[in-house]
Amino acid sequence: MDVLRDQNWVLSAGTFLPLVGVLVMLFIPKAEEELSKLVALLTAVATLGVGVYTLTQFDFDQADKLQFFADAEWIKVISSNYTIGLDGMSLPLYFLSMVVTVLVMIYSWNHIPSPGNPKAFLILMLILQTGMAGTFVSQDLILFFVFFEVVLLPMYFMIGVWGGEQRQYASLKFFLYTMFGSALMLVAFIALFFKVRGALPEGVEASFSIPQLVEYGGLLGRSAQIWIFGGMFVGFAVKVPMFPFHTWLPDAHTQAPTQGSVILAAILLKLGTYGFVRIAIPVLPEAAKEWAPWIGLLAVIGIIYGALGCLAQTDMKRLIAFSSVAHMGFVMLGISTLTPMGFNAAIFGMVAHGLITGMLFFIAGSVKERYHTLEIARLSGMLKQIPKLGWILGFCAMASLGLPGLAGFWGEFPAILSAYSPAVGLPEETFRTFMVIAALGTVFAAAYLLWLFQRTAFGEPKPEFAGGDHGHGAHGDDGHGDDLHDVNIFEWIAWTPFLIAIVVFGVYPQLMFKVIDPAVQVALRAFGG
Amino acid sequence: MFAAEAAAEVHASTGWFLEHAWLIPIIPAVAFALIIFFGKRMPMKGSEFGVASMFASLVLAVGAAWQWIQRVDGASSVAHSAVEEGAYHSAPFVGPIIREWTWWQSGGVEFGIGQHIDGLALTLLVVVAFISSLVQVYSLEYLRGDRRYTHFFAALTLFSAGMLGMVLAPNMVQLILGWEIMGLCSFLLIGHWWEEEANSRAALKAFFTVRVGDVGLLVGTGILFFSANSWTQENLGVSGFNISGLSAWAMSGAASQSALTWGAVALFVACIGKSGQFPLHTWLPDAMAGPTPVSSLLHSSTMVVAGVFLVGRLYPVFWEGMKIGDTNINFIVLIGGITIVIAALLAFVQHDIKKVLAYSTVSQLGYMMLGLGAGAWIAAIFHIFTHAFFKACLFLAAGSVSHSGSHHSFDMKKDMGGLAKKMPITATTWIISTLALAGVFPLAGFFSKDEIIDNVGHNGYNAFMIVGLSGAFLTAAYMTRATYLTFFGESRGAAAGEHHDQDGAHAVHDDHGAHAVHDDHGAHAAHDDHGAKGPHESPKLITVPLMILAALAVVAGLANATPFGSNWERFKKYVEPSSEYVMVESASASGPGESIVVPAAEEGAKKEGCATVAPDEGMVCYFPTVSHAKFKWSKAALSLVIVALGLVSSWLFCIQYYTRRDRRLVGLTERNTVLRGGYKVLWNKYYLDALYETVIVRAVAYPISRAAYWLNQNVLDGIVNTVGKVARRVAGWVYRNIDQRVVDGAVNGSGAAARGSGGVLRPVQSGKVNQYGALLFAAAAIGALILVIINT
Amino acid sequence: MSSSILARVPWQSPAIDYHAIAPEIVLAGGICLIILVDLFISESRKWITASLAGFVMLGALLPILTLAVSDSDVRTMFDGRYVVDEFALTLKALFLVAGYVVVLLSQNHVEEGDYYQGEYYTLLLTSVTGMVMMASSRDLVSIFVALEFLSIPAYMLAAWRKRDRKSNEAGVKYYLLGVFASAVMLYGMSLLYGVTGSTLLSEIGSRLTVEGQFGGVEALGITFVVIGFAFKVSAVPFHSWAPDTYEGAPIPVTAFLSVASKAAGFVALVTLVYVGFPRAQDVWQPFIWVLAAITMTFGNLLALRQSNIVRLLAYSSISQGGFILMPLAVAGTGDAAGPALQAVVVYLLVYAAMNLGMFAVVITVSRTTRSGEISSLGGLFSYAPALGVLMTIFLASLAGIPPLGGWIAKFGAFRAVLEAGSGWAYAIAVIGAVNSVVAFGYYGNIMREVWMKPAPHGETTTVRTPSSLVAALSITVVGTLLFGILPGTIMRFGDLVDLTGAFGG
Repeated sequence: MDVLRDQNWVLSAGTFLPLVGVLVMLFIPKAEEELSKLVALLTAVATLGVGVYTLTQFDFDQADKLQFFADAEWIKVISSNYTIGLDGMSLPLYFLSMVVTVLVMIYSWNHIPSPGNPKAFLILMLILQTGMAGTFVSQDLILFFVFFEVVLLPMYFMIGVWGGEQRQYASLKFFLYTMFGSALMLVAFIALFFKVRGALPEGVEASFSIPQLVEYGGLLGRSAQIWIFGGMFVGFAVKVPMFPFHTWLPDAHTQAPTQGSVILAAILLKLGTYGFVRIAIPVLPEAAKEWAPWIGLLAVIGIIYGALGCLAQTDMKRLIAFSSVAHMGFVMLGISTLTPMGFNAAIFGMVAHGLITGMLFFIAGSVKERYHTLEIARLSGMLKQIPKLGWILGFCAMASLGLPGLAGFWGEFPAILSAYSPAVGLPEETFRTFMVIAALGTVFAAAYLLWLFQRTAFGEPKPEFAGGDHGHGAHGDDGHGDDLHDVNIFEWIAWTPFLIAIVVFGVYPQLMFKVIDPAVQVALRAFGG
Repeated sequence: MFAAEAAAEVHASTGWFLEHAWLIPIIPAVAFALIIFFGKRMPMKGSEFGVASMFASLVLAVGAAWQWIQRVDGASSVAHSAVEEGAYHSAPFVGPIIREWTWWQSGGVEFGIGQHIDGLALTLLVVVAFISSLVQVYSLEYLRGDRRYTHFFAALTLFSAGMLGMVLAPNMVQLILGWEIMGLCSFLLIGHWWEEEANSRAALKAFFTVRVGDVGLLVGTGILFFSANSWTQENLGVSGFNISGLSAWAMSGAASQSALTWGAVALFVACIGKSGQFPLHTWLPDAMAGPTPVSSLLHSSTMVVAGVFLVGRLYPVFWEGMKIGDTNINFIVLIGGITIVIAALLAFVQHDIKKVLAYSTVSQLGYMMLGLGAGAWIAAIFHIFTHAFFKACLFLAAGSVSHSGSHHSFDMKKDMGGLAKKMPITATTWIISTLALAGVFPLAGFFSKDEIIDNVGHNGYNAFMIVGLSGAFLTAAYMTRATYLTFFGESRGAAAGEHHDQDGAHAVHDDHGAHAVHDDHGAHAAHDDHGAKGPHESPKLITVPLMILAALAVVAGLANATPFGSNWERFKKYVEPSSEYVMVESASASGPGESIVVPAAEEGAKKEGCATVAPDEGMVCYFPTVSHAKFKWSKAALSLVIVALGLVSSWLFCIQYYTRRDRRLVGLTERNTVLRGGYKVLWNKYYLDALYETVIVRAVAYPISRAAYWLNQNVLDGIVNTVGKVARRVAGWVYRNIDQRVVDGAVNGSGAAARGSGGVLRPVQSGKVNQYGALLFAAAAIGALILVIINT
Repeated sequence: MSSSILARVPWQSPAIDYHAIAPEIVLAGGICLIILVDLFISESRKWITASLAGFVMLGALLPILTLAVSDSDVRTMFDGRYVVDEFALTLKALFLVAGYVVVLLSQNHVEEGDYYQGEYYTLLLTSVTGMVMMASSRDLVSIFVALEFLSIPAYMLAAWRKRDRKSNEAGVKYYLLGVFASAVMLYGMSLLYGVTGSTLLSEIGSRLTVEGQFGGVEALGITFVVIGFAFKVSAVPFHSWAPDTYEGAPIPVTAFLSVASKAAGFVALVTLVYVGFPRAQDVWQPFIWVLAAITMTFGNLLALRQSNIVRLLAYSSISQGGFILMPLAVAGTGDAAGPALQAVVVYLLVYAAMNLGMFAVVITVSRTTRSGEISSLGGLFSYAPALGVLMTIFLASLAGIPPLGGWIAKFGAFRAVLEAGSGWAYAIAVIGAVNSVVAFGYYGNIMREVWMKPAPHGETTTVRTPSSLVAALSITVVGTLLFGILPGTIMRFGDLVDLTGAFGG
């Protein structure tokens, strides 16, 4: 495999820099909250700096190759190495994880959820950052697994300590679910290793290196592939989450603190889908073909089902959480077609969903902070009292329901299209049915999002909150309740990049497709992609 | 680029305006951004951006249209000189000006954004830009002092950008983009006065219903793209989204019939949603909740014709897919025909003047679909053109009435009547447009509508010709009723100067949100004295647009006045694409601003019958051969008579019914069961809304989603939780009864175990040791036994 | 007839490699020294014995290091009955370090409880000596001697808190059941000797083939021997003593039992399986398979119900034992012998680090809370963040979450099992996978107390951590993290060829 090895310190720096910040913060007394916030923020910014540098140094003309490729001995005995690299598929997510962390840090500046203790909170967030970035760059199954697991504990504590009423139930559920998945996944990884080792040609030394497995994975027998894929499938599907493994998601999202939900929605869910496109499908093409129709089926079920779940919600945040199930359904549908177009759509969809749903969770958090409730029935006339927030909500709702010209559309539309002609060897009729169902899903998406918007933002404010607001004059946006202040400066700083990105990617999707496409082509070589 | 010029020199001039038509939507898009960010700080609250941008677009559009006319004339003259007279069955081929830039690529496919300029696109561009400009001017006055003045203009401008962008879309993706942006703006504008729930509901309904149709748009695009892509790529070097590519593919005879049919059906579903065709028309009347300028721009003249435009734009696909060529009933004709009649009937039972117009719009859209479905392409497009003027005029007139005549009420029966004297200009423009709509010679409506009916018959759809004619009768009748109720007879309610109180106003009329913002409705102070000194004529900003539109309602028809001979058929000459086979020269449409090269006319083999004979190798055909009915005064006379009947009978009826209160007529619907039933059905809009809202939507929104959620919480989640519970239960049981009580459940053991499970201090019981020991030995014995057995 | 051979050959003393047995000598000397010193120092200065014991342990480590670096790899004595090879050295080191940590743990506990310090450390050292011997024993007799040598002091230590009935109960149960187990094991050994006519494991290995007319007897012998050690490693269903004993014994002793003596049991088991019965796998593989499966499953399930932290750790260590058994269950299949041995050793090392660390935290905390209930840990993170984090690290490691030591141990086990690749192997791999999830049920429960629950009755006085405990904690936590992040460091130790020879693998 040809890779670009120059400047291969970059990725390690980007991955482990947060841990340095953690070390520093360990020596900051708990009382010095401002200081720990500052250090955490600086660390995140520095990490982002490295990310930007990576972006500038990334050779976009060779996005199909692994770049900044580093390969050091790690666990020789089990022939697993510290192999990291970045290509077009991982770059967007890698970078997104850094951006999101910084913005969440900024948001946290004056939004530390109870019971406070920013030091611990931010330390966990930095550890999360390392885990997420590491997962996206690691090119070795074991390394991937380690990073994949590293994110568990911090998120567990984030939900469990800083979460809502049922945080303990939610956090434990989240943890057990994911752990169950990854346990089977690990078994599958090891089994894969041995099977491939058995099939390797002379003189090739077996290893957990993903590129190598991609190269030789095809040598396995069908049944072996199918079983191993099954193991991985559970692991990743839980993380995505796919119907019917999704039940941890609504609880986790609803109970998690705003920052937690944002990171969860923006990055963590992507680890699963990323696993599919990076590992499961390229390594086991035969099995992928066998599984694809079922994945597609679960995906469309997820789309409709998630939408129905949304329609049944009375809590804004829970509604958004369920919408994730539906959106990830689109992503998985794209993946299940095993076509470059579907994969591109999927990866674009991951980023878009990350931006949009992340944003929606931010909004939910701020609404909660202002109204002290997220019950849709009690919210009304937001546009009158806090118009800016209301319009941002409307904007995100539109983006989320896949309005062309905003990022959401480019994840959804090509995914639906690609389902019309899946990869060779997949049942066309089945996928065309999926296509129609998925298209219907967009209607549902419009339904629950606009319904949400209509009930919360339109209309007159409910008397209980109407206090002190009589928006006179052409400027409706000078309404001020007791604590009904409109978007504040930290929120603006944290949100603007999201909003801009949503528009920019929506207007000029080429920005991302150009990067993704070549890498995807490589990943799908086995399917004559 | 050079290729385009090379082709251009040969036969057809292009020009700056044509090459840069893509600027037309860009301008309002920029204006939108400006309004959003700086609007509130501007002296005119941002409206100046909107109006200015619309006029700029109008100038560009007109310029482009002018150059297009040059181009066509030039082409035909060249062609005439090149080929001896008479060899022409139709106008020479004049290629569209297509420019595409790569927008994004995925999986090897490139998706472009750019322009596809031809007669059709230009027609719509001019119309949209023109009406938008007038409506924006009108809105300056109509919405003065509204609390969301700026938002209103922002949305209005964005809408124009979206519509213009859609109209000149060279490929389906861009078309979808514009299509959805229009939907968004429609949502925002209908819900403009969202304080009242009725309005936001109407907005939701509109967006949602259209969205249902859009499923067809996505699916259809997908079907066509994948079936056409390979063909277009190798023959024309464009992706399967490209519109001319799709047209050529559909005509090439290489296309699979099933793909064409399904694609066409799916797309037409989208058109049904957008253009308010039966059975998805129900959103359009509710959409009247929006401010009147919105109704006149989006929901009568421009946005709702998008569906018609799409059919006309991809006509070859529909032609082949629906088999329009042969005279059997097809989907489009059927829907069009039904829509004409049911909408027209509904218009009779409305009290709300805007709803009458809304249903009239629906029915007119039905005419356009009917025309397209029956192969009367040019007539249908022409009807878009003429209809835009007089329908916009009617709406603006209605707005003018409510603005200055009926104190924000739209209820003809309660608050209008006899306004003709008080608002002469409004009344005149209204009546002119009404006659135009009814299709009275020589007003605009006559030329387009009669043309449709004529051609429908000519193409063998005789049954639908009848439908068309009856539609004409109904149109004339209900418009007369509306006219009478509004402008004649005695004045009622606000029209008589009464100033009814708020509640009354609410009761009278819910879907005009102005009441909601009365307390801070800047213009309200003014309106009180209106109320005081009663109805009066509206100010200039309102009447001038009315007069302009009325004037056009008179003359617009002459643009394609078939009765006066073929020289008058300019529309046919400049707009209708020619159905020539043309040579495929070079096939590279990638990279910035390159264009599909269309060859000189003489290279195309002179051979009749696109869509009847498959083209030869290396030839393509962009448009089917549509036949045109020869105009006959006899036929025209028939329809004119029918219209006259409609007008007169309805007029007499109104006098009898509304003014004289004739015993035999008043309350007839109560007395006669048949009529009562009919009235009931109409009043309930054929129960379609009931079906959608109370049956389907409620079912999904409540029982079904609840059920799904219940499933989630109790089954799926239940499983998970149960697993957890069971594990703990089992653990507890094992712990107490096996681990602690071991072999013999010693009586004392159990109690101890109960406490033991809590981990509390337990007294030493040697008994336990016995048990443990017993367990140890027993296990050893059993294990040994088994292993010995299996090993010997 | 073997007796007649003895009769003819004149007896001469065997050559003794003093360097090889230096560790044992140091320990023996240390024991005597402590007894003597204990006699002459005043009650107030008994703590000296503790430090002495510590030094002795470390002192015994020196020769091990020298042996490790000295190139002559395998040193055998008494014609192969006592062998010092890499395997032996690794585990001796493990026992000594573990012993040292236990001393650190005991120091304050024993001192403040003013138990009989001198005797305590003497017994501790004796037991460790037994373990160190066990690592080298390659003969049924020496194995048995070593076993008793390490067990008997442990019986006494378990009952050390002699005024506490629970402690006595613990001692009594441990003792009685231990004796039963020894009896069973001895019976097995005698059968084996009877069949093969030798006590030397390698000879037994070569002669023992579970075929022919003696098949049944051999199977019986093997089974009983295995059971004997199954008891030591508290495998279900021979675990019943463990919870009561662990709960009753002084916590440092519990730590000692649950780590060191368990490890010793495994060492013996490994030696027997690899050297003694390599060709009788049909007997012990299924047996150990079953043991492993039910041990990890029951251990987990039972742990779920515990409210007392020590008792919970008892059950958790039972289930961990199941995981350690897992690779042994397939050691005879395919070429899994090497990886299996590696897995066991690595697991023992990691397990020692994290479990001792866990006990260290528990001891430290219980010094303030004076309670063994899990609920007493509530809000620990809020008032003693350092301890809270440490405890989280150890728990997470026990649960096998990367990048902490525990995961590489579990990983190794799974790897070995899947290497075998038989149907049984996959089956137990899946069982193990599921169990590793269940395990988090109770580990997570403790974490929840530590992080998410409020401190009970507002108990928020900062916890004072004595220096010895600090030392113990730092040793264990460094080990846990290091093993996890750079597993290469530890996997090396598991890379042992000497024992696997018998499998020809």
